Order: sequence, then structure tokens, then C-alpha cells
Amino acid sequence: MMLSLNFILFPFLGCILIVLINVYFGIHVIKREIIFIDIALASIAALGSAVGMVLFNVGHEEVAHGDHAFWPYLFSLGFISIASLAFTLLRHKTISIPLEAIIGIAYAVATTLTVIILDKGAGGDVHVHDMLVGTILWISGPQLARLAIVVAITGIFHIVFRKKFMNLTESFHNHEPDIKRYKLWDFLFYFSFGLVVVEAVKIAGILTVFAFLILPASLSVLLTGNWTGKLIVGWLAGIAASFAGLLFSLKLDVPSAPVIISLLGLVLILGYILYKSINKNKPLKEQP
Amino acid sequence: MGTLAFLAPPIISCIILAGMLSYFGNHILTRGIIFIDIAVAQIAALGTMIGILLGFAENSVNAQLVSYAFTIIILGIFSLMKVRKQVLPQEAIIGIFYCVALGMALLLAEKIQGGSNYITKTITGNVLWVTWKSVFNCLLVFVPVIIINLLMGKRIKEISHGALTGNSLRRTRMYDLVFYITFGIIIVKSVPVMGIFLVFMLLIGPASISRIFVSSWKGRIMWGWLIGSAGSILGIYISYSMNISNGPAIVSLIGIAAYFFAFARLFNNRAGKTSVSNNQISAK
Repeated sequence: MMLSLNFILFPFLGCILIVLINVYFGIHVIKREIIFIDIALASIAALGSAVGMVLFNVGHEEVAHGDHAFWPYLFSLGFISIASLAFTLLRHKTISIPLEAIIGIAYAVATTLTVIILDKGAGGDVHVHDMLVGTILWISGPQLARLAIVVAITGIFHIVFRKKFMNLTESFHNHEPDIKRYKLWDFLFYFSFGLVVVEAVKIAGILTVFAFLILPASLSVLLTGNWTGKLIVGWLAGIAASFAGLLFSLKLDVPSAPVIISLLGLVLILGYILYKSINKNKPLKEQP
Repeated sequence: MGTLAFLAPPIISCIILAGMLSYFGNHILTRGIIFIDIAVAQIAALGTMIGILLGFAENSVNAQLVSYAFTIIILGIFSLMKVRKQVLPQEAIIGIFYCVALGMALLLAEKIQGGSNYITKTITGNVLWVTWKSVFNCLLVFVPVIIINLLMGKRIKEISHGALTGNSLRRTRMYDLVFYITFGIIIVKSVPVMGIFLVFMLLIGPASISRIFVSSWKGRIMWGWLIGSAGSILGIYISYSMNISNGPAIVSLIGIAAYFFAFARLFNNRAGKTSVSNNQISAK
């Protein structure tokens, strides 16, 4: 028991960091109804990194092993800021399509352009598999430290300006939020989220990060109305599921990501049943 | 001339599909459930894997049936989850379905030989492999879907705009179920041939562009069809002459065009003038 706890310590700490920041972003993202922005930003960052690799002749190996080669990383940040700018500007009353559609188009274009640029590398299947689920069981100390720094910086930034970001999201579906220079704050929201996504996806893979973003936050939206309550419910569910998931996957020798996702899904179903039974007793109660 | 005969089936199939997907794309955009097609494709792939685990051969009718049955059950659950006051956005529910289906597929992939192939298989597709036979096969499936949607189109359109049919949640859910199942059939049928991103782009891209400029429902569908067909033909031509894969070429072309038109509309509006051509299009 001791040995296995030791073994999953780093992965578990990594999961906690991702859960802490992603539940927070997840609540925002669900409220804004831009659920797939995380996958889109991850693909856009991958496209940027691919462009950087091709332009500066960085080897595939260096990038694939969780390190950040300088130029590809810089390019992925550049691409993320361009995308954030586009998402900020295109939420405008003259553009009568949902922002999620604009995000979806960016996702499709980024993914297919990456395919064109990197065209038919050997072992593509394995690469796609790794990109989806990552290798969080093998997270190293330096990787964990890097993740902690990015999460801390983004977290503190969002704690300090929480009122602005909350206000922005609450008024997202009306066209004029009552904040000065709200476009700048909107941009900062997307960009800071992009920073976290790039870091988290590198370690845990697109699918796991997406699961941590959507599943615990959905549960919290069902169960409670205020922000603090939502954060706590989401954090508890996410941390519990990742701990149990990591232990199970070690004991049963199955990949950790699908187990964690299944557990999160299970918790969500139980939460939904709970929500239904509460609402049946008080049918007239308005949900906030 | 030989080239034309070679390219005819893919072009025809793109034009047919662009029309179907322009219609569904309009509904999808109005409902705000953008990623439903990727989720449905993932669920169908999971269904196929379940079929294989039950002992059926990959391309057998039985495996297909298991896949269809599984997809329809999930879509049924999805339409049952529509409530009067949506606490959790439908797009979030789609995200959850997608995520869990993909997670399950990864778990099952461990049990099937060469399992990870099934996960990546849906990502690519090749329009150039389309033959007259598969065009005909697709038409066979599409015609009933078109007829059903023509018959129920008015009600489904009202529901897309947020109304409840006869103010009855149960009847609304029934219409929704028909809509999602017909949509699901189109997706399951076309994704293996065209690849998931091409289907996704033909669904969202042309509908988005036409929505920016055109206000009438029918006008949007017609313009979407036109834009989708033009984009496909141009994309196939570019891919053929530059020797890159056709799917990614069409996807990038339509996607970049969508961004171009969106920004054009934005800056046009900023400058404080509505261009004559826009008005002409909206008038139609």
C-alpha cells in the first residue's frame, strides 16, 4: 500500500493541480456555453508548435517527450493569442452565430492544418493515442514544478481579478458587459486559459484535461447555485475521482485516464439522480 | 476527360452531402449544439467496438446494427434530457457524452487487437475513394431522411427556435428524437467515407457563413448548400493540383473562408456602412 501511494504521489499532485484550475475554468466555460474551447485551444497550440518545429527544424523527439523546445512553445503561445483575439472580437452583435461555432471551425482548421504540415509521420496512431490520454503516471518532478508555476500564476491572476471575470461570464450572453475595456479582459480570460491548457495537455492529454474541465463542473452546476459552492463541489469530486482512479488503474493494471473519466462520469450520474430527486420534492423552486 | 470521370463521384457526393448538412447545420447552429456530430461519430465508433467485442466481424451487418442501436439509445437518452429550463446547457451534455464515449473506447481498445486503430480511424477519410456505388448507397439512406424532415420540418424548426410543441414536453421530445435519429443516420453513414472533420466542417462552416449574411431560414439553407458545394469543388481541385489530401484541403478552405467573412462583416460594420452586396443577399 505504502509503495503504491508513493508511486502515485506525483501523478496525484498533478491531477490536483489540474482539477483546481480546471474546475474553476469549467464553471466559466459552461456558463458561456463554449464547452469545446479547451480542445480547440489545445489543437491551435499543437498547430503553432508544428509550425515552429518545421520553421526551426526542431526534432519530433524533443517535443514529444514532454519537454518544451523553445521555438515550438513560443509559436504555440503566439497562435493561442491570435485565436484568443479572434474569439474576443467575433463575439459581436453583428455576428449572428454562436461563439462555439467559431471555436469549432478554428478547431477543425487547426487540426487538419497540423495533419497537412506534419503529414503522415510514422507511428501516427500511437502519437494520436498519447495526445488524447497523455502519460500522467510518468510525470517527472520538473514537469510537476512547471505545471505548479503556471497554475499558481494563472490562479493568483484570476483570484485577484475574480470580480471582473465573474461579471464578464455572468453577462456573457448579453452583448455589453458593464466593465470598462471588457474586450481586454475577455482576451486575458482566453489567453490565460490557453496557457493552462497547453501545460496540462502536455502532461495529462487532451481527453483527460477535457474531462477535468467539464465533468466535475457540470456536477457542481447541477447541485448548487453560487460560485464558492460550485468550486468546492467540483474540487471534491475531481480530487476524489482522480485519487480512486489512479489507485484502481495501478491495482488493476489498466490505463489511468479512462478509469478516472469513468469514475467522474459515475459521480456525475449519481449527482444527476440526486438533483432529480431534490427537484421532484420542490417542483416550483426556481434554479438560480 | 479521364480526370473528370475520376472526380465525378467525389464531387457529386460532396454536393449531396453539402445540401443535407447545410439543412442540419442550420438547426444545429440555432440550437447551439455545435459538437453533436463529433459526439455522435464517437458514440457510433464505440458501438462498433462493442459489436466487435460481442464477437461480430468488423464490417458485418450485425456489428453495424449494434452500432446503430447503441447510437439510437444514446440519442434517445439525449432527447429525454431536454427540460423546460435547462440548468446544464445541452452543449455541455454533449461534451460529457463525447468525453465518456471516448474514454470507454480507449478502455475497450485494450481488449481488441489493434484497438487504437478504431479510435483514429474516424479522424481521416478520403473523398477520392468514393465510388458511384457508395453515392447510390448514401442516396438510399438520405431520401427517407429528407422525406421525414420535409414532413416534420415545420415543427422541428419551431423546436430549434426554442418553442415547445403544443406546449407539451413529451411531444417536443418525440420530435427531437426523430430529428436526432435522422441526423445521427446521416453522420454515421458519411463519417467513415468523408472523415470526421470534413463532415463537421460541411455542417458548421457553410451554415455559419450564410447565417452571417442571410436572415431567412430557406435562404440560409440554400446559400449554405451553395457555399458548401463551391468549397468542396474548389478544395478537391486544389488538393488535386497541389497534391495534398483533399479532406484537410476542403476543411481549411471553408474554415478560413468563414473567418474571412466573419471579420469582413465585423469591419464592414465598424466602418459604419452596410455594403450593397450584403443587402442584396439578405433581400434574397
